[in-house]
Amino acid sequence: TAGIKRDIENLYEAVPQLVNVFKIKEKIGEGTFSSVYLATAQLQAGCEEKMALKHLIPTSHPLRIAAELQCLTVAGGQDNVMGVKYCFRKNDHVVIVMPYLEHESFLDILNSLSFEEVREYMFNLFKALRRIHHFGIVHRDVKPSNFLYNRRLKEYALVDFGLAQGTPDTKIELLKTTHSEDQQGSCSQNKPTIALGNGVSVGVTAPKQIAQQSASKAADKRSSSISKIQIKQGRGGKEDSAHHSVQRSVFGERNFNVYSSTYQENTKTKLIKQAKMIDVSSRKLVTKKKIASTKTASNGAARKAASGCPSNLTCDCYATDRVCSVCLSRCQQVAPRAGTPGFRAPEVLTKCPTQTTAIDMWSAGIVFLSLLSGRYPFYKASDDLTALAQIMTVRGSRETIQAAKTFGKSVLCTQVVPAQNLRTLCEKLRGTHSSCKRSQGEVPSKSVNDSALPFAVDKPCAPETLGKQIHHLENFQEGDSALEMKATDMKGWDQVPDEAYDLLDKLLDLNPATRITAKEALLHPFFKGMRL
Amino acid sequence: GKQGTASKSRTGRLKNPFVKVEDRSRHYRPFYLQLPSFPVLNYCVPKPYSPFEVDKKHPPGQKQTQYKQRTKINSDKDCGIPVQLPQKDKKKRGYCECCGKKYEDLQTHLESEQHRNFAQSTHYQVVDDIISKFVYEFVEYKDDAKKIKRTKCST
Repeated sequence: TAGIKRDIENLYEAVPQLVNVFKIKEKIGEGTFSSVYLATAQLQAGCEEKMALKHLIPTSHPLRIAAELQCLTVAGGQDNVMGVKYCFRKNDHVVIVMPYLEHESFLDILNSLSFEEVREYMFNLFKALRRIHHFGIVHRDVKPSNFLYNRRLKEYALVDFGLAQGTPDTKIELLKTTHSEDQQGSCSQNKPTIALGNGVSVGVTAPKQIAQQSASKAADKRSSSISKIQIKQGRGGKEDSAHHSVQRSVFGERNFNVYSSTYQENTKTKLIKQAKMIDVSSRKLVTKKKIASTKTASNGAARKAASGCPSNLTCDCYATDRVCSVCLSRCQQVAPRAGTPGFRAPEVLTKCPTQTTAIDMWSAGIVFLSLLSGRYPFYKASDDLTALAQIMTVRGSRETIQAAKTFGKSVLCTQVVPAQNLRTLCEKLRGTHSSCKRSQGEVPSKSVNDSALPFAVDKPCAPETLGKQIHHLENFQEGDSALEMKATDMKGWDQVPDEAYDLLDKLLDLNPATRITAKEALLHPFFKGMRL
Repeated sequence: GKQGTASKSRTGRLKNPFVKVEDRSRHYRPFYLQLPSFPVLNYCVPKPYSPFEVDKKHPPGQKQTQYKQRTKINSDKDCGIPVQLPQKDKKKRGYCECCGKKYEDLQTHLESEQHRNFAQSTHYQVVDDIISKFVYEFVEYKDDAKKIKRTKCST
């Protein structure tokens, strides 16, 4: 905490306007791109309020900062999307002030949530996603630590637009996209222009500032060898993420999530590395490129990148188990991949250049998968293709390959793995699988007045629904009392309706074009009886 | 850990098992992953660990040695856990979007002339424009002001 104290002092010093306004109490999150502090402030309205102060890393481009602010101001503040109170800046130091929502650590509560709570959680996540998608915001980093959840108050907040991108028709001006084609190759580059996300371009002032991703990487490592780049490429950027990954929790992971009471020491480090790994380079402001032939390589970095780019040569390796110097010498396709491993949709993992709000729905599906299976993180992969392979083991290799075709990707996989039945998968992982467990979880013979049920409104009181409600109520009224463990230990988990797995199936749709949208998800039968 | 596998052969046949992805336009470099064994769903891993976690067959505790062993022998199967890299070091290096360059040490970079020039430039107008629309609704904490100020001045 000595370090944290110093961090707080440094923050006061960097942004002196904070000094008389906030009492900064503690650091509540730290990620690659920001640190978040808990503070109190006296409001003119009279009361003292808790605030979250998000201090952005001073290397953030002003356009990115402005875009994040614009997401918060335009889309935030309602429907479970975090809003913004104010923003302070001194030079490159920017602090975003947001209302503070005290929240749970996902890992801590994952296996104590009732089924009904899971239903509410997902419902509220979709509300937030519907909201941001309506504004043409692709969040890109939907995961539990970016969806704050206060269990007691039943309050929710989607946070962190630091990686957000705009859809082609986004209503967030600063996320607006201009182009499309000239961003796809990475063969060579022009004097760089910066494009934020797919967005606003500005000329870069210093002529030597080349932001081209692989080129600068290679240059930095003082390695001009193409094969090195290929390695990285072949491994789906693993080296990159391993190299730069730092935990990335923002106003999310309470106590950095590592003080999570259920975990012991080395688990902590692993969790950080696994769950919060992020691809820093993908956050680089994308350099706009022109197609190779028009370019003369003007410096080392560009030369390196350009050297591997006779992009029109063909070979016979396509869709085979071979690679040759011809196909390997083509340039890498550049596609956005910012986000967190394990939450990336197949079209992100396979570098599909056109990515939509559907990638957030996939991530929501992964969150749902965690909730239903009791496993977090569910996928554990340090590189994109391992992540893809893990997805195949759940959704099927044939199905994955098939879907990839629809978005222009040839996927070849030596392993033929069948798609899993989602119910069986989740129940086995959660441990509610066996039939004996089912009978054990029978509806308790307790009489409950219908009118007391919170969800009785328009519900047909099928016995299983009723059971769920009873469990829920008990859970509510009696809290943690060990005495009624027996009555509530299933918490509705013995009667998960088919609708849950049907919705999960639609979220984890391998084809982004047919994947369920947030708006549709809210209308899914799984949420029957919930108020919009 | 895994760098070895894919790197060996620049050309030729990929070793089983592998995953290979290529854009159907055939205009881009294919990318692929060769791994000693394909990931398997493991139902025996205790909750709440990932079913793809190879390391968690036993409850937390005696993991230290196992971990080391695994990274050596089995490094590819375990689809995870980037090996080591002390947190502290990693934290300091990164990429500056303002200057368009990578840095090894954050603090040093922030103090560089190039970055300081950018920090004081008008590039931030786009941020200030948004800030100007916010309503300032705070009251200053008068009583503690002195104390805090002193801390601040002690640079």
